[in-house]
Amino acid sequence: MVARSPIRPASPVRVEGGWEVSGCRSDAPLSIADHTPLAKVHLRAAWNGAMAKALGVPFGRAGRESPGPDGREGAWLVVGSGPGEWYVLAPPGAAAVVADWLGQLAADSAGGEFVSVVDLTHGRALMRVTGRDAAELLARLCGADLHDDMAPDGAALRSAVAGVATDIIRDDRAGAASYLLHCERSSGQYLFDALVSAGESLGIGVDGFRLPGI
Amino acid sequence: MRLGPQPGEEIDRERSFTFRWNGADVQAYEGDTIVSALAASGRRVFSRSYKYHRPRGLLTASYHDPGCFFQVGDEPNVRGAHRLAEPGLDVRSQNTWPSLEFDVKAVNQLVGRFLGPGFYYKTFIKPQRLWPLYEQVLQRFVHAGHVSADTPRVAVDKRHAHPDVLVAGGGPAGLAAAVAAAQAGARVMLIEEEHRLGGHLRWGDATDLAALAELRDLVAATPGIEVHVNAVVSGRYDGNWTAVVLRDLPSGLPGGTRVEQLIKARAKVLVVAPGLIERPYVFAGNDVPGVMLSTAVRRLIRLHAVKPGERAVVLAANADGDAAVADLRQAGVEVARVLDARAGQDILRVRGRKGVQAVQAADGTTTECDLLVTATGWTAPASLLSMAGDRPAYDPRAARFFPSSLPEDVLATGGLAGDGSLDQLIAHAQATGREAARRAARLRREWQAAVPTRGHANGALLAGHRLAGHGLADHKLADDPLLADDGPVAIPELPVDEHPELFRARTHGIVDYCEDVSSKDLIAAVREGYDSIELAKRYTTATMGPTQGKIELVNAIATVAEATGRTIAETGTTTWRPPYAPVTLGALAGRPLEPVRYSPMQPWHEAHHASPLIAGAWIRPDHYGDPAAEVRNVRSKVGIIDVTPIGKLDLRGPDVPRLLNLVYVNKWSKLDIGRVRYGVMCTEDGVVFDDGVTGRLGPEHYLMSTTSSGASAVWEWLENVLQTMHPDWQVHITPVTTAYASINVAGPAARDLIGRVTRGVDLANEAFGYMEVRTGQVAGVDESVLWRIGFTGELSYELHVPAAYGLHVWETLMDRGRDLGVAPFGVEAQRILRLEKGHLIVGQDTDGLTRGFSAGLDWAIKLDKADFLGKPELAWQHDVENGSGSRLVGLQPEDGSLVPPEASQIVDGPRIVGRVTSSRMSPTLGRSICLAQVEAALAAPGTRVTVRLPGGRLVGARVTEHLAHVDPEGSRLRV
Repeated sequence: MVARSPIRPASPVRVEGGWEVSGCRSDAPLSIADHTPLAKVHLRAAWNGAMAKALGVPFGRAGRESPGPDGREGAWLVVGSGPGEWYVLAPPGAAAVVADWLGQLAADSAGGEFVSVVDLTHGRALMRVTGRDAAELLARLCGADLHDDMAPDGAALRSAVAGVATDIIRDDRAGAASYLLHCERSSGQYLFDALVSAGESLGIGVDGFRLPGI
Repeated sequence: MRLGPQPGEEIDRERSFTFRWNGADVQAYEGDTIVSALAASGRRVFSRSYKYHRPRGLLTASYHDPGCFFQVGDEPNVRGAHRLAEPGLDVRSQNTWPSLEFDVKAVNQLVGRFLGPGFYYKTFIKPQRLWPLYEQVLQRFVHAGHVSADTPRVAVDKRHAHPDVLVAGGGPAGLAAAVAAAQAGARVMLIEEEHRLGGHLRWGDATDLAALAELRDLVAATPGIEVHVNAVVSGRYDGNWTAVVLRDLPSGLPGGTRVEQLIKARAKVLVVAPGLIERPYVFAGNDVPGVMLSTAVRRLIRLHAVKPGERAVVLAANADGDAAVADLRQAGVEVARVLDARAGQDILRVRGRKGVQAVQAADGTTTECDLLVTATGWTAPASLLSMAGDRPAYDPRAARFFPSSLPEDVLATGGLAGDGSLDQLIAHAQATGREAARRAARLRREWQAAVPTRGHANGALLAGHRLAGHGLADHKLADDPLLADDGPVAIPELPVDEHPELFRARTHGIVDYCEDVSSKDLIAAVREGYDSIELAKRYTTATMGPTQGKIELVNAIATVAEATGRTIAETGTTTWRPPYAPVTLGALAGRPLEPVRYSPMQPWHEAHHASPLIAGAWIRPDHYGDPAAEVRNVRSKVGIIDVTPIGKLDLRGPDVPRLLNLVYVNKWSKLDIGRVRYGVMCTEDGVVFDDGVTGRLGPEHYLMSTTSSGASAVWEWLENVLQTMHPDWQVHITPVTTAYASINVAGPAARDLIGRVTRGVDLANEAFGYMEVRTGQVAGVDESVLWRIGFTGELSYELHVPAAYGLHVWETLMDRGRDLGVAPFGVEAQRILRLEKGHLIVGQDTDGLTRGFSAGLDWAIKLDKADFLGKPELAWQHDVENGSGSRLVGLQPEDGSLVPPEASQIVDGPRIVGRVTSSRMSPTLGRSICLAQVEAALAAPGTRVTVRLPGGRLVGARVTEHLAHVDPEGSRLRV
């Protein structure tokens, strides 16, 4: 039994972390890769309550810890995606551990507070765009100002990309500008295709997925 | 004729090529425009005027030249005095027949007195039966090129930009302002309409060329300036949202088709520096080829090394006219006479038809020549300022308009702001650029302080937590180069030179070259009562042609002022609206962005030739070849359908039951864990809004389903209730529509099939009854949700599995159910099955006025509940209207082979008493079946009604006892 992303993997296709992924490699200066296999756990709590304080990541920002609290390979990215709303992105298969950790954090730090945790690993398509022209590519499909002074490394925002409501997280990698983009699952193939089409003139290359993925 | 090398010329004499003009070869150099090459070859007539088909030549030698619109390949209306010549271009004149030289349509001049302004309001009206003929005739005289329907297309991505300062205009003022703004730390976007930066300096003298080189070098050397030439700021909208159009981009298509790209630039400050546009003079014969503006001859000579004529007369009212005289002499043109308007000299008329032959001055003397050059004044292109809300004010001393009140985020510099020496203009522009940067910086600081993406607003939350870091320390405001604000920059005043007010000589001539509107036409319009510039514009179409008033507006205003006895200031201007210059539909359209949604099982549907149904943004399988067979298979064996688009909302919290009680018409306080209930939502006016089932998965955990088209609307509806009516309720709603792949397994063998793939769930009817929910493992997938519900009327289970395993589960069901006769069924079969069962579809069997009781939902509506959305209206419907209004009924046509189209009217004599809402041929019953809305008085079972088919035929139908046509007792789904 293999899990499948909504985005058709470019060949060669292989299985990584229980997911059917693309094994292709791109060394293009601008690349896009399907990162849907990442665990994505959604948290709701009061925007200014004890849970928010315990998480320590405010609305509009993302906090990265490597390794995550479970100590395994790969980082956790806690994203303040909305007022009173967070996502935790983690390596494939970590959703249950993340949910447990959040539940424990809530119990320890926010006992009386109303907190809910929903595993949206399967409900979101997620992709990463990396390269010097990443912001230029996004500027073709998104009206938000992504200049460094408005959306620096670690910024998290929600906007329309190619007409689809999309969460955008700036998560630079090895000095290169990099953006994680996620949308509701069923629009994932469309969004991926739109980014690839718009990036053709920028020489975009499709890269594969490799564990731990974040 | 081509001149020898000119200082500052923009042609490359090493690169010579040919292109075709009306079938003949023309030699050109790289850097030539189409028209400069034609002029160099000795040609003078390039087009015919719109209405009268008068020969037209080169007037301005710029983008706005009204006599130079050509068909280039498949591209119509190309600005020939702007488009660069290229090897192999096929250039043709437009709207001439049989040729440019001999145009039969010039016969219009003979009937010119009948073709005055507004003639179409007075002619071509009667007899009405000849309108199709009038259309054909008038079509022949429409002035434009043609576009082939086979033109290959390519999508060009638009682009969003966020410059601090956008400078519109790349002349000396624009260049200086851009550099100053960038040096002050601003991100600058500089837009220039021509092919090169420099404005009028490009055809200036040696001093101008030296200044130009310095400014260009400075722009190139200053970081932070994004430069686009051959581009235009097409419009300025609220908040300095500006449309920038990049022109003549290579498309990659055969034939050298050019495309345009739209940049959507949200500028913090807009600096408008478009320079000035030279204005023609109105006199008899002012449109004869060989009449040119001073800037035209200077461009031809200095940029393209083209001799504009042999013997010239010049009418000069300013220094540019004097400079034109010098340039003409330097180019070897004999300047036969200079008429100095500053000394009161004037011209009367030009003689000649296909070319200037002589000029008659106002003093009565006539001078033979082939070229008349006029330098009679300037028009301020204030369009962008007007779009920003400015109402330009006319200064009679300078004979032009100036800005009067600009908003905080718009500045003007260069000729728009005043006159002066080059040094004065540059100093003004530099100060303007610095002030623009200062204002932009202030705005940037405000935005940076407000946005959460910089992490400052909630900085206190970060202290001490291990997940806090992500480079926040790298982006302190202190690093911002635009931090310092020492107060407004002092912008020096520019002097305003006096200029004679020269608009029309003592004779009449063309005011609007594009529309063939003369000064006589405008005066006649005023006499007819169209005595404001706005009315005169619309009646005569002056300024409504391709140049959109850029070279003719002020002359039109002056003529209307003259006719009404008012001043130019009193007459005012028309309103400039975007676009400032033409823009292709391709640029506006960009790349089509039409989101599409797919289920995880879509690859299987495609591979099995499902006929696709477009349902909103979703692509769904409508059928797999034979919907009737699919229905029969569900009724006799087992079918599976992909219902992933069904809306699904995860509800958590102690107050979920209170929310459900409020939004549904039925009762929800006592729903046990593992139970499912059908619910209907009505809006506050009692109208049916959505329906679905909600199951309780845990103490404070529910899963709600909605219609697929209503998924986002219901989410908004619930959030609206929580945020505005009950912010105190503890409920979290998370949309999970696509987190689950949803599969409905229906048919007598459904339990058998489910049993083969499910672990951890007792499927016996006693253990897992109708309208219950369980979680378990399906096809090896944990945390799958199984509802036992039924839309089809058969034993059925709706599976919701984590979406990434959806295809695996589907394939497993197909594989494991082979011997049971499992087959997929699509949306069409489902619609038939549910119709057989009498289940309504919200939005199909109800409309925007159908209240709950009219939808046959009496059994669900609990008026004894304390409150719910829509209760007052529904109580009224029940208690006061008491059975009036319409009702949803089952209907069967008397002729069972007849399937009335949906929406067929139900009539009683001349009255419409209802309509058919759903209608299909039932494979199970072998006859047609319907649902219908009828007046309550006709809703009793057995009532005969009359259905009016399209075409008018009337047929009989009977109201059935139940909505369900098959198994009304529901025994098949409770086994």
